[in-house]
Amino acid sequence: MDLEGFEAATVPHMNTLYDAAVRLAGDHATAQDLTQETYLRALRSFATFEAGSNCRAWLLRIQYNLFCTQYRRGRRMPLVWLDEGEPDPALELPSDEPGPEEQTVRELDREAVRRAIARLPEDFRMAVTLVDINGLTCAEAATVMDVPRGTILSRLHRARRRLEAMLLPELGRVQADDL
Amino acid sequence: MTCDDFQLQLTAFSLGELSSDERQQARDHVAACDDCASRMLRDRQLTALTRTSAVPAPEATRTAVLAAVRAEAAKAAPAPATPAPERLPARRVRRRHWVALAAALLAAAAVVAAALLVVPAPDPGSPLAAAWSSYHARGKDGLGTPSPKEAERLFAVLGPDSRPPDLAGYGLRQDGWEGRDLAGHVAAVAEYRDHEGGRLTLMRWRGELPAVARAPAGSGLKAYRWGRHTSYWWRADGVVWCMVGTIDQDQLYEIAEHLGGESSGAELG
Repeated sequence: MDLEGFEAATVPHMNTLYDAAVRLAGDHATAQDLTQETYLRALRSFATFEAGSNCRAWLLRIQYNLFCTQYRRGRRMPLVWLDEGEPDPALELPSDEPGPEEQTVRELDREAVRRAIARLPEDFRMAVTLVDINGLTCAEAATVMDVPRGTILSRLHRARRRLEAMLLPELGRVQADDL
Repeated sequence: MTCDDFQLQLTAFSLGELSSDERQQARDHVAACDDCASRMLRDRQLTALTRTSAVPAPEATRTAVLAAVRAEAAKAAPAPATPAPERLPARRVRRRHWVALAAALLAAAAVVAAALLVVPAPDPGSPLAAAWSSYHARGKDGLGTPSPKEAERLFAVLGPDSRPPDLAGYGLRQDGWEGRDLAGHVAAVAEYRDHEGGRLTLMRWRGELPAVARAPAGSGLKAYRWGRHTSYWWRADGVVWCMVGTIDQDQLYEIAEHLGGESSGAELG
């Protein structure tokens, strides 16, 4: 088993996998389980992975399939994003970062965005997670979710309009250099 | 292009998913319409805001995942040979491999055989018999896809599980799915193929597990032998799952175990 090759190909995508897992599972403990199980499955079938093809989409497809077949049954997404705990006071901000007040506003915005995304129906939430947050193309997201590309576009469009309605106050605070 | 047209295409436009003609029309419209220019700005603000909400994997998660991966890899690696064996002629090495492979296959076959219950042919009117006939009915051609009406009917009966699961992680591509009547049950039947042409059929319907299928020792899955084939059965949320195929039978068992055996909602006993 080529453990070194497996880690080199897959570990760079762990943030994406974990982000998608949190949004699918709704809590951090389950997200960690889902991420770990995804990696174990990927390891077992790494021999079938074609070197040079899209490893991130391959991993996300395994994870999404795993979630749909084993984690989703009976699960209800929480309407409120779970508290991630207090920020680490030891974390020093570099001098060119926004000041504490602006940081607080931005953190509040992030929480508002996470809550709004958590309120979306699962299919919409996954499309936003894959394309808008993690930068997959519509074609890649379509492969992950096993639906036509047009379906991804349609889900994204409807999800964005719902988010827009939920996040109107936060939109005004987006800085020009964030665009 | 009208404002309504632009709004409909706004997401595709911002993602660069329009054709060059459509993109030019959208650009021309935005240049001439303040309302749609504002809409486009709001859309860009929204995606910028959404991006900030990414959740990186905590260090503890990264550590745990890597530890689990390395433990799994170590488990799968062969035990180190001590002392180092003499280098054997190539033919003898190959023969040794065959002997080891045959021994492993025999051991696996013994485990599976011990775990299975071989029973007489099922009642011809039962879902079990209907599923068996269904499995044989379309062995070569693969299936199509359900019409929208049929898909709607399957969804009404089976809910989100009406769509077949993606088994690409196991090297299986979907070869179509459709709705069928199995002894009076509306069933979703899906076909898969592996790269060697091996076949897997998955059938699901709402009902009770056939009593004839029994759970093999040490597993929550139920197994039923059909000639040379073994079918695996489980029930979750009122939906009966039946899986059978000509793909590698250990892999078939593994898929069944993953899909059903570990499901917390599955009724196994």
